Amino acid sequence: MPDVKEKAVSSNPLMWIRRLTQFAMLAVLSQWSFYGIFRCPYLVPFVNCQTCPVITCWGRITSLFWGFWALLLVSVVFFGRVFCGWACPGGLVNQLVGKISVFKMRIRNRFTEIAPWGLFAGLALAVIIWIGLYNPRSMIPIRVGEFWSSIRLSFEHASVIWLVRTFIVLGLVVAGLGIANLWCRFACPTGGLLELAKRFSLFRIFKTSACNDCDACLKICEMGARPDETNCTNCGDCLKSCPVDAIKIGKKGVKS
Amino acid sequence: MEEKKDGMERRTFLKTMVASTAAATLGPALLHARQFQADSLQVWSCGGLSEAMNIMNTRYEKKTGIKIAYTGAFAAALGKSLLGGAVTEVFCGRVLKLAKDLRAAEKMIYFRPLCFTEYVIITPLGNPSGIKTVQDMARPGVPVLLPLDASPPGSAMMGILKQAGIDKAVLANNLRRETCVIKMMPQIIDGTGKASIVERRLTRIPKFEGKVEVIPIPENLFPPGPLTFTVGVMKYAKDRALADDYVNYLCSDEAQAIFERQGFIPSYSDKGRMLVEKLGVKDA
Repeated sequence: MPDVKEKAVSSNPLMWIRRLTQFAMLAVLSQWSFYGIFRCPYLVPFVNCQTCPVITCWGRITSLFWGFWALLLVSVVFFGRVFCGWACPGGLVNQLVGKISVFKMRIRNRFTEIAPWGLFAGLALAVIIWIGLYNPRSMIPIRVGEFWSSIRLSFEHASVIWLVRTFIVLGLVVAGLGIANLWCRFACPTGGLLELAKRFSLFRIFKTSACNDCDACLKICEMGARPDETNCTNCGDCLKSCPVDAIKIGKKGVKS
Repeated sequence: MEEKKDGMERRTFLKTMVASTAAATLGPALLHARQFQADSLQVWSCGGLSEAMNIMNTRYEKKTGIKIAYTGAFAAALGKSLLGGAVTEVFCGRVLKLAKDLRAAEKMIYFRPLCFTEYVIITPLGNPSGIKTVQDMARPGVPVLLPLDASPPGSAMMGILKQAGIDKAVLANNLRRETCVIKMMPQIIDGTGKASIVERRLTRIPKFEGKVEVIPIPENLFPPGPLTFTVGVMKYAKDRALADDYVNYLCSDEAQAIFERQGFIPSYSDKGRMLVEKLGVKDA
């Protein structure tokens, strides 16, 4: 007899559409994402692209920088934190790593209640460094160069603080092998920003009053979240998981 | 209607046209490529040259069909890597001492003078604070922005200010120690800072060109160290003839004109030749 998860996966084509979309967005955004982590000379990546000395970065040589932030804003207005679940290349990597992680942490307890505050701590730190400290350049930028050899040179000539920042990020992604989606659920500053903004979104996935708190939706969620609660990214994976059909998608404030 | 008997048939004409166009387009590249054993060349340069090098590499690739695998970054960092275990075939470094050190370490076979940089004052368009000389940057209340924590501009700035005897006064006017000169430029353009000192090449980057006023600084204030760029063939060059040909191209009139357009002083210009003598940019 299929369990709740298998049943939800087989009956919800949206999950496959989402995964395909994630891979498509990986093709569009991945190079910029990996530049941000491995070759961006600033402590907070993705925010100074237009004045970055790295000539070959995709965020700079295309209109990706402005297009990305505009797209992100639009996505937040309509669907809250949907970027995390549908478009973020880092999110896809984390979710794939999460498939083999030891602890899925799809439960409600004190830890999963408190740990998401890490998103806001990450956001606060990023804002302080970006605006308060003018986002210092902390690594010798490899302005032009082949991708992998440039990464090697970047690490070779980076300052201690840049190395600390980069290894913390990479370490938290690797720690996703222990706790599924650790970075996305408990540390990502962008996720923290979207988490704050999502309450103003027009549409969302939500629970109706028929919800009996069985947590079937939580068991299927890669982010270990329930609809319209902290870390819900409106990914849609849970839409077919509810045994009492209490999960809906629609306009904010128009609950059926 | 009379049929045309003389002249070329249409099909022959088209074949000839296609063949001629292909020969004209690919001929020089194939001819060059056949001269060399290798079909690619690894080139490292100081990051300050990157914009100019990108243009020249594209042209060289088009001319010869040789692929240039190019890396541009802070020369001292690349030089440190090269003095360690890193390998490249041609290196265009800043600071004469670096080229000499690579020669002394027998990592570089030879070097030639490539070009020189020069420093200028920049202000927002309209020069709202009426800056005419570096001394004006020391006037009380003039908000200046200096990339003091950037490398290498930071040390050069301080050298200029110390030589002018105004370092303390200008530092008192400095809004903050910028870590990146490219990141700083928009803050001069938008008037946050009313003056700064940068290399002229910054004012020729398309994004900044024509958006700031450029005021020359007397040469006697320049610290000599960062002025010089050299190009050298490394001992790791897989095809020495190709490496030599590339170096010759960088020193050609065509490439030197690109350096000049990008805000450098070509080493084979009159001023460049004077600087070669003055700074002693000669391979032993």
